[in-house]
Amino acid sequence: MKRRTFIQAMVAGGAVSAFGGLGINLSRAAQQTEAFKLDKATITTSICCYCAVGCGILVWSNPQTKRAINIEGDPDHPTNGGTLCPKGASMWQTTENPRRVTSVLYRAPGSSQWEEKSWDWALPRIAQKIKDTRDKGFETKNAKGQTVNRTTAIASVGSAALDTEEGWLYQAILRSLGMVYIESHARI
Amino acid sequence: MNGKTFFIDQTRCTACRGCQAACKQWKNNGYTETSNTGSYQNPPDLNAQTFKLVRFNEVEVDGVLKWLFFPEQCRHCLVPSCKMAADAQLPGAILQDEATGAVLYTEKTAKVDYRMVREACPYDIPRLDAATGRIYKCNMCIDRVQQGMQPACVQTCPTDTMHFGDRDTMMRLALQRLQEVQQRTPTALLADSEAVRVLYLCEQPPQYYHGYMVADSGRVFKHNGPLVAGVSRRKVLGL
Repeated sequence: MKRRTFIQAMVAGGAVSAFGGLGINLSRAAQQTEAFKLDKATITTSICCYCAVGCGILVWSNPQTKRAINIEGDPDHPTNGGTLCPKGASMWQTTENPRRVTSVLYRAPGSSQWEEKSWDWALPRIAQKIKDTRDKGFETKNAKGQTVNRTTAIASVGSAALDTEEGWLYQAILRSLGMVYIESHARI
Repeated sequence: MNGKTFFIDQTRCTACRGCQAACKQWKNNGYTETSNTGSYQNPPDLNAQTFKLVRFNEVEVDGVLKWLFFPEQCRHCLVPSCKMAADAQLPGAILQDEATGAVLYTEKTAKVDYRMVREACPYDIPRLDAATGRIYKCNMCIDRVQQGMQPACVQTCPTDTMHFGDRDTMMRLALQRLQEVQQRTPTALLADSEAVRVLYLCEQPPQYYHGYMVADSGRVFKHNGPLVAGVSRRKVLGL
């Protein structure tokens, strides 16, 4: 469009405003709004699933479908006072996303393909691998002959998102295996 | 009733982009396929799915590198020139909400010349959805605001950069903060504060943040007056 035509149109627009008021009933703007999407939604409080800050969140969900409609910061939560970082602000997608991985995916050593597997297949296999690795790398004494009963063959990185009780349980499992390389992923 | 206004204190922004993510989430806007452009600014521009974009800019001020962040969005002009451009073609395609002053694009924007609307915007905000022909931009989360909630971007902001409320309150808050910032940087200013409903506090010269931080000259309507094409922005705003 040429600048001249553009300006002519602008002047025409101005004339409409000058002689016809604003030309439209502004209350129509309100009517344009669809039914508010949080109407009739159930609100549940929860904690952000990501870092160790532990921001409080509100989850609005549809009571019929039980699916989340909206997630945002909980204004009453002392940690974040209703705010969320970009990761937290996009948390809704952790449940409502067609690309979400919903089953176990396994890539065999050397393979370039992912295979779908069941949890019944995966969990005992993970447990077996942990046991084998731990047994192979287990040291009862160190170079000085001191009793250590440890494995340095496995490390744990996580989890900042655990609560106190979960954290205790996780520590208990790791320590009982003799693990010493235990770190929180919040520090990475 | 003076409607609603945003105050965006850019001295506090850390470019976390929470506002950008919250905006997408509330509006269920999809993703944009992008590639690495060497900047954290992603997607590289506003589009029909991205109404809020944090722009990153690096400038040298007195030999010191400044990394400037600009959470860009529609300014909801007091006298929106995009609406005038649309009204000339199809009244009702673009509306201005009486209570809040929000400038709202309806589905009728599909029948309006896109270039005309975009060129009318002094801040280069409107974007076309190629699939539907509709024009999109920020709608001030009018649905939330009508329910007494804050816009999604303001609600999520963890650094107290984003504020929203009655225009008078926001203007007071902005001027108060401006005075504080001017103690250390006397040239700090509120970009086009008399013409728009989004008050950007710029500690550095506005053009360092983005070319359209302040209104593009020649694209502005005189406040409460007839069209003035080609007049300088400073004159229009009485600066």
